[in-house]
Amino acid sequence: MERLNNLAGRLAPYAAAVFLVVPVAAALWFGLTAGGGETWDHVLQNRLVPYTFTTLAVLALTALFILGIAVPAAWLVSAYDFPGRGIFDWALILPLAMPGYVMAYAWADLAGVAGPVQSSFRDLTGLSARDYWFPDIFTPTGLAFILASTLFPYVYITARAAFTNQSLATLEAARSLGASGARLFLSVALPSARPAIVAGLALALMEAAADFGAADFLGIQTLGVGIVRAWSSFGEPATAARLAVVLVSIAFLFFFITSLSRGRATNQQTANRWLTPTRTRLTGQSGWVASLFCGGILLVAFFLPITRLVWLLLETGAGTAPIVPPLLSSIILGLSGATLAIVCALAIIVGAKHANATSSFLRLSVAAGYAAPGAVLGLGGLFILSATGQSLSGVTAIFLLIGIYASRFTSAGLEPMRAAFERAPISLDYAARSLGASNIKRFTRVDLPLILPGVLAGGLILCVEILKELPATLMLRPFGWDTLAVRAHAYASDERLAEATLPSLLITLAGLAPVLLLSWRLSKTGHTIE
Amino acid sequence: MKAHIYLSALATSVILAACSPSISDSPADADSVPKTLTIYSSRHYDSDRLLYDAYEEKTGVNVQVRESGADQLLETMKAEGDNSPADLIIAADAGALWRFQDAGLTQAISNDAINAKVPAKMRQADGHWFGVAKRIRLVAYDPARFEEADVDNWVKLAAEDKRGEICVRSSSNIYNLSLMAEMIDRLGAEQAGEWAQAIVANMARNPQGGDTDQVRAVAAGECGIAIVNHYYWARLATSAAAADRNVANATKLVIPSFPDANGAHTNITGIAVTASADDAAMATAFIEFLLTDEGQALLTTETKEFPILATAPLPNGAELVPVSDVSDTPLEVFGINQAEAQRLYDLAGWN
Repeated sequence: MERLNNLAGRLAPYAAAVFLVVPVAAALWFGLTAGGGETWDHVLQNRLVPYTFTTLAVLALTALFILGIAVPAAWLVSAYDFPGRGIFDWALILPLAMPGYVMAYAWADLAGVAGPVQSSFRDLTGLSARDYWFPDIFTPTGLAFILASTLFPYVYITARAAFTNQSLATLEAARSLGASGARLFLSVALPSARPAIVAGLALALMEAAADFGAADFLGIQTLGVGIVRAWSSFGEPATAARLAVVLVSIAFLFFFITSLSRGRATNQQTANRWLTPTRTRLTGQSGWVASLFCGGILLVAFFLPITRLVWLLLETGAGTAPIVPPLLSSIILGLSGATLAIVCALAIIVGAKHANATSSFLRLSVAAGYAAPGAVLGLGGLFILSATGQSLSGVTAIFLLIGIYASRFTSAGLEPMRAAFERAPISLDYAARSLGASNIKRFTRVDLPLILPGVLAGGLILCVEILKELPATLMLRPFGWDTLAVRAHAYASDERLAEATLPSLLITLAGLAPVLLLSWRLSKTGHTIE
Repeated sequence: MKAHIYLSALATSVILAACSPSISDSPADADSVPKTLTIYSSRHYDSDRLLYDAYEEKTGVNVQVRESGADQLLETMKAEGDNSPADLIIAADAGALWRFQDAGLTQAISNDAINAKVPAKMRQADGHWFGVAKRIRLVAYDPARFEEADVDNWVKLAAEDKRGEICVRSSSNIYNLSLMAEMIDRLGAEQAGEWAQAIVANMARNPQGGDTDQVRAVAAGECGIAIVNHYYWARLATSAAAADRNVANATKLVIPSFPDANGAHTNITGIAVTASADDAAMATAFIEFLLTDEGQALLTTETKEFPILATAPLPNGAELVPVSDVSDTPLEVFGINQAEAQRLYDLAGWN
């Protein structure tokens, strides 16, 4: 019995890892081995290069926007004191609550030629739409702006942590040598924060590469859109799978950049966390410029789009469609998916510790799911369905979808749990062992109570990520399981933005919970992500 | 305390998952349990729910609906094969319905009552699908820039005096594919391709947004001509928001004819009985209900499509749209020429 227990404990993490890696492996394997469909030649000749080029262009522009927004903002709140700094410090994380597609709905309406901004401009000036130039949101640049608006907090968080925790001695030394302001930033702070910034940026770009909803709504032909179209419009999963191989390669590239820079970033950190950095007080005009910059970001990336959605909701009403069924589907799928992901994460964390396993295979498997965009996992799910002779209706499809969620998001829940787990002293474990407790007993009596707060935090993050998920849900949801995200997408693509506002706002509202939690945790731990 | 929250959350998720309705599709005892009619619909209008409710109330038949994009429904049905629960498919656009037929997912229905109500032009010849509402693709133009006579033929939109004036959505959209399919049928592929190239040359901007966005762009002055389906304009004209009504008021509608014939490019919202439907009679009964005045009103009041029945009342706003005959191209052409249409659009550089 004891041996069986130990064996189970040792195998559990690997079982979980295999389970998590199967969907993305299925999609890639199919893409590499199955013959191209009828339209593959068409896609190869006319679409593949534009898809790839557009995706890369969007990612490059997104990166530029993110760096331009997040790094100066992070530097301002960590190195200076100015009106509203205390609020901006945490509020700049808020845009993370909005999924890209919701941001796209709101800004397409706000900035469109018939939207309130341009309309009022024309009313004021008496000009016609042809007489002036206005930035077009329905372009790759527009998409990059949308994605950067929701994803810049990734870089803001890592950069702020790096700036705040930078060796104070270095900064003080630089100051005493007369470096200040821009010079201090450019030649001292920025170089040493670079690994952290790169890590955050790669994470953000991985998410940007996974986007489907915003690109689809704005009509930008990225690989994510191409995959879903190859499957749905051409009816050719094989073609979709080949595109998936390209997209996954891009996403993995960013993942490896993240891991590499993370390794370097930890080397850079010093133990000076308990020292409060001295912030230079910005007075007069420069103080207000700093406030204006941070306030402007918040306005554009959060308050304006939210206000517009609320406005639309109030102006035209939410329609008569009952909101409860999709809400319920979202909650059920969110809770079940989060539960499964937590079980997988626990198996990996606890198992890896007890089995003393080499964790690189485990880390890679979890990462594979996380780096794979939802459209690719959805595709993998379809292959699994057809390989096992199952249909999209009924129980199997629900379990499959929940499995896909776990595969995609276990990584997101893993970190808070691992952090909680690693805080627990190993001596507790030895004590339990010496008392003769079995693996399972040690888990339920020692490990689980210790990591419960981490589990709850991880669960919250997972639930909301699942709630926001669009492409995989769109491809795999069975009969009657429309989620809020699916509803919002359906209405918005049907040119009925007003009806899309209520589900969109509910998703954002739910998204605020983990963001505020994250913000609170960060403020408690002195801005480092654990 | 925290443990309790966690455990109850876990328990809730398990219980909810176990109790959720769609899991319990145990085989129904035909005599004691009401019959179930399963509809796959590419429409997601709130008013459709009223339609299904009304039918349930009238007949006691239990109506189950799965709403999704037509493409997705098609792929789903292919994957489900003979086990598909679907009895009926509702899709907007004949081109979409044709794809279901082409995939062998529909069955031919010969029903005199239905055939008497749906004009022959508005249904598939063998009864694979039937139109239940009409939609017209037309032009909304800026009366300050153009006269009706400038834009009353599709070919006139390709003329050089329309340079930088046309707003239209992406070519991958089914409405544009069907329009092109009819052009190919009338002009031949070569001339149709040239027409598409001329339209691209006349565009005011890269295709973006939906049909409504094109009308808005005309009202804003960005372009003088928008190619749109009539009901998007009608919805603007009857919107609760004054700004929307102003957009409609700033534009005029004209139904363009083709170079060789009069008549509007007319499409349908149609319905098909699936090949896997066990009880075709139950399915056709629902179609017959759609072809009553009540069914027609429920179908079109919110969408602003034209009823297929001449006797049915027009939805509010549709009376503002000009009337025209239906062009004489068989609807099947929209499906048959669909792939060619996309190819020609791609070659013309119509995004």
